[in-house]
Amino acid sequence: MAIKNNAGRRNMTVQKKKTFVLCILSVLTLLLLCVRVGYLMIFRSEYYTQLATQLHERERDIKAARGRIIDATGTVLADNKTVCTISVIHSQVEDPEEVIAMLCRELGLSEEYVRKRVEKYSARERIKSNVEKEIGDRIRNYNMAGVKVDEDYKRYYPYDDLASKVLGFTGGDNQGIIGLEVVYEEYLTGKKGQILTLTDAKGIELDGMGERRKEPEAGKDLYISLDMNIQRYAMQLAKQAYETKQAAGVSIIVMNVNSGEILAMVDVPEFNLNDPYTLIEEFQVQTVQQETTQEGQTETKQESKQDLLNKMWRNGCINDTYEPGSIFKTITAAAGLESGAVRLEDNFSCPGFIIVDDRRIRCHKIAGHGAEDFTHAVMNSCNPVFITVGLRIGVERYYEYFTKFGLRQKTGIDLPGEAGTIMHQPDKIGEVELATISFGQSFQLTPIRLMTTVAGLVNGGKLVTPHFGVKAVSADGTSVDEFVYPVSEGIVSEDTTEKLKYVLEQVVENGGGKNGYVEGFRIGGKTATSETLPRGHGRYIASFLGFAPADDPKVMAIAIIDTPQGTYYGGQIAAPVVRQLFENILPYLEEIGYQ
Amino acid sequence: MARQAVKFRSSKHNMDYVLLTVVLFLVGFGLLMIYSVSSYEAGIEHNDSAFFLKNQAQNTVVGFVALFIMIKFPYKELQRFDVLAMIVSAVLIVLVKSPLGITRNGASRWINVGITSFQPAEVAKIGVIIYLASIIQRLETLGRNIIRTPKGLAIVMVPPTIIAGLVYLLTSNLSSAIIIMGIAVAMVFVAVPDYKWFVVIGVTGVAAVTALVAYVANTDMSSSNFRMGRIMAWLHPEAYSTDKAFQTLQALYAIGSGGIWGKGLGQSMQKRGFLPEAQNDMIFSIICEELGLFGALAIIILFVVLIWSCMVIANKTVDRFGSLLVVGVMAHYAIQVILNIAVVTNTIPNTGITLPFISYGGTSTLFLLTEIGIVLNVSKNCR
Repeated sequence: MAIKNNAGRRNMTVQKKKTFVLCILSVLTLLLLCVRVGYLMIFRSEYYTQLATQLHERERDIKAARGRIIDATGTVLADNKTVCTISVIHSQVEDPEEVIAMLCRELGLSEEYVRKRVEKYSARERIKSNVEKEIGDRIRNYNMAGVKVDEDYKRYYPYDDLASKVLGFTGGDNQGIIGLEVVYEEYLTGKKGQILTLTDAKGIELDGMGERRKEPEAGKDLYISLDMNIQRYAMQLAKQAYETKQAAGVSIIVMNVNSGEILAMVDVPEFNLNDPYTLIEEFQVQTVQQETTQEGQTETKQESKQDLLNKMWRNGCINDTYEPGSIFKTITAAAGLESGAVRLEDNFSCPGFIIVDDRRIRCHKIAGHGAEDFTHAVMNSCNPVFITVGLRIGVERYYEYFTKFGLRQKTGIDLPGEAGTIMHQPDKIGEVELATISFGQSFQLTPIRLMTTVAGLVNGGKLVTPHFGVKAVSADGTSVDEFVYPVSEGIVSEDTTEKLKYVLEQVVENGGGKNGYVEGFRIGGKTATSETLPRGHGRYIASFLGFAPADDPKVMAIAIIDTPQGTYYGGQIAAPVVRQLFENILPYLEEIGYQ
Repeated sequence: MARQAVKFRSSKHNMDYVLLTVVLFLVGFGLLMIYSVSSYEAGIEHNDSAFFLKNQAQNTVVGFVALFIMIKFPYKELQRFDVLAMIVSAVLIVLVKSPLGITRNGASRWINVGITSFQPAEVAKIGVIIYLASIIQRLETLGRNIIRTPKGLAIVMVPPTIIAGLVYLLTSNLSSAIIIMGIAVAMVFVAVPDYKWFVVIGVTGVAAVTALVAYVANTDMSSSNFRMGRIMAWLHPEAYSTDKAFQTLQALYAIGSGGIWGKGLGQSMQKRGFLPEAQNDMIFSIICEELGLFGALAIIILFVVLIWSCMVIANKTVDRFGSLLVVGVMAHYAIQVILNIAVVTNTIPNTGITLPFISYGGTSTLFLLTEIGIVLNVSKNCR
């Protein structure tokens, strides 16, 4: 009994000891788990918090304001308008009937449409976007639970069709579709902001849990060289010519000869930037015609509408090529003078035609210009003389100059879709081809290419890059990106420039460009009349290129009238357009001290 | 003789109030957290944000009634029910497969008793504690080290093993089976002087688990079964984020996003549908999220105090039966707390274990409080 008892006691002591050991083991395990919890909550906290936040937050984008486009006078040509997006949050709507009635009334939507959306069980249902701010404010003032009004930006062009093909417009996501809006997208577009709202697992936004905002960053304002006053005036003249001559189109470009800055670029007919998807009258006629001819073929019709829109948006100044005609004689003259193939005082005789190989090429004056020196040949725009000069230069050298003058490259203008020059391959140029090239036929280039090269020839041999973009400035003005454009110098000698300027001034003073003369200013220029392909349809392109002052060119303008009715000579219909333009803008440029 | 000594030393004023205070605090805190964790979902699912709180409050009231009964009920009388406790436990577990059984989420773990339902596995835990405390005491009285003979060991270990087996096989409740076996091993560990065998068992167990994990980790999982999948999910929670590791990962999000100071009471995001039924097994993760590291550590420390108090009571008790009862209860709490926190922190593979006194659940609350009543009763008879 005693032994048993002793054993019992001893075992009781063992039991106490082992209970203690068991307890200590448990406590130690718990302390290890504390370390684990601590590790998770301190060192892994950031990681899991991030994952959890991603899980909990629903994000809504806040559009960033797109940078404005501002012209040389400081006028805003492309701006942003605040518009509203109206949506409802199902779980927060207290009185659906009242909300439906109000939204129908304010937004002019059918009850069926609104009811379907209000009664739909979803986190957030959009009712209508691009609602005028006024209406949006009114809806907000009702203070109805569950109705959300989000502000948003929409591109807005205060001057509708002014420089429409230059500025371009933006699409639904505020991204550029054509024009400068495309080229300067990276500057103009801002950084989207975000509203991060906490939601439960079903995506229902939680009230009173607050929301995080990541503020959007507005895009940079683009400052361009275009001068609204000149643009406006050029457009007025172009429209006038377009209407009186019932032309297919009229283009006017005004450029700074020395820097390549473009002051105006018009390509009538222009379209309304605030409504770019509506065909203008000219194009509507075509759709009607197509509709009548292609009845029942809706798909074709749809396609042709997009084609017509693309046609309407096309900027003839840079997207289309044409045969430059006599204006190109400037280039032949420059090449001739530069190469020494001709001097101003060289004498020629024009019988009214010239035989090249076995081809007889006529001068525009059938009776011939008779005896004339080179200066007069330029003034008379005499084809046989230029053919002679061209042949004297020779194919190889001519092609070299053609290349040197940049004519085979694109100008690099900051607008999308510039067309390249369509030119013969050098090995395909025979005497006849060279003869036609010499007076501006048998190849095609864009108006801007022609103008840029001529500008280079008269500005002392600097081949500039025509451009609009001057700088991009951030919304707060702290960051400025100045744009620099490539210039290649020395395409012709100073001497050739001087001679060319003299001859071209003579063209306006006493020659075929008399209609381009502006009293009180020294103007140089050259006319052109080119028959469009296919020949023999009586369709012409009349053009005039002028610059001022003739002795120290600063500004150059080109007017191109496509398919005028009636008189079609460049000297008679295009030169007056440039004259009227210069009459107004030269005093204006002097006034603002334009360099 | 022993009984006389106990009688002589008994005093009504020795009840362990530290333990009672800790338990009261944990239960109160549990109710608060259940409301915080479940109110959002309850508001949506049951149109009553206090739905789970009300249920748990009822359970708690019942639990406290049981607690006070057990304080008054002389615990030594429990020794009479030792074999009966085993039989009742076994019968109740078998009943889950009868028409009285209730199947939820694919597992038959509940028995319907008219007004309410309960989990027989919880009954089995307390049953095993009573059985082992009684049987070990009896064997020790019979003779020294009888428990260490094969026959003695069989008498001690076979019934709990059968119960654990039934729990695992009939109710697919691995965690309760583990707890029952754990309690049994802990009580035997305390009762015998040996260490060697337990160290051997422990080392073998660890080696086996490591081997299994290594095997699973290197196996093509296309033909894997449910539990192996759980092991994979445990090793790579991110890779199984949509199915097997969903709950674990969501719990980790909750714990991690709590940080040191927590989001504040009621501010949990994970309870808003991301961590389903967070008031059950995963409640600790929401405690971490809302109360931060300090809140979490405070809770763990309260459990340490609870376990420590049990140890103190067990070692102050002269009566072997009472002492073993307390050891069993202590082991029960310790195992459950450790496993729960280990699961929630993805320290071990996921298996459904509730956090004592805090997780939502009627049967477990009732029996946990009953066990506290027994411990307090024992503590009255301390020196």
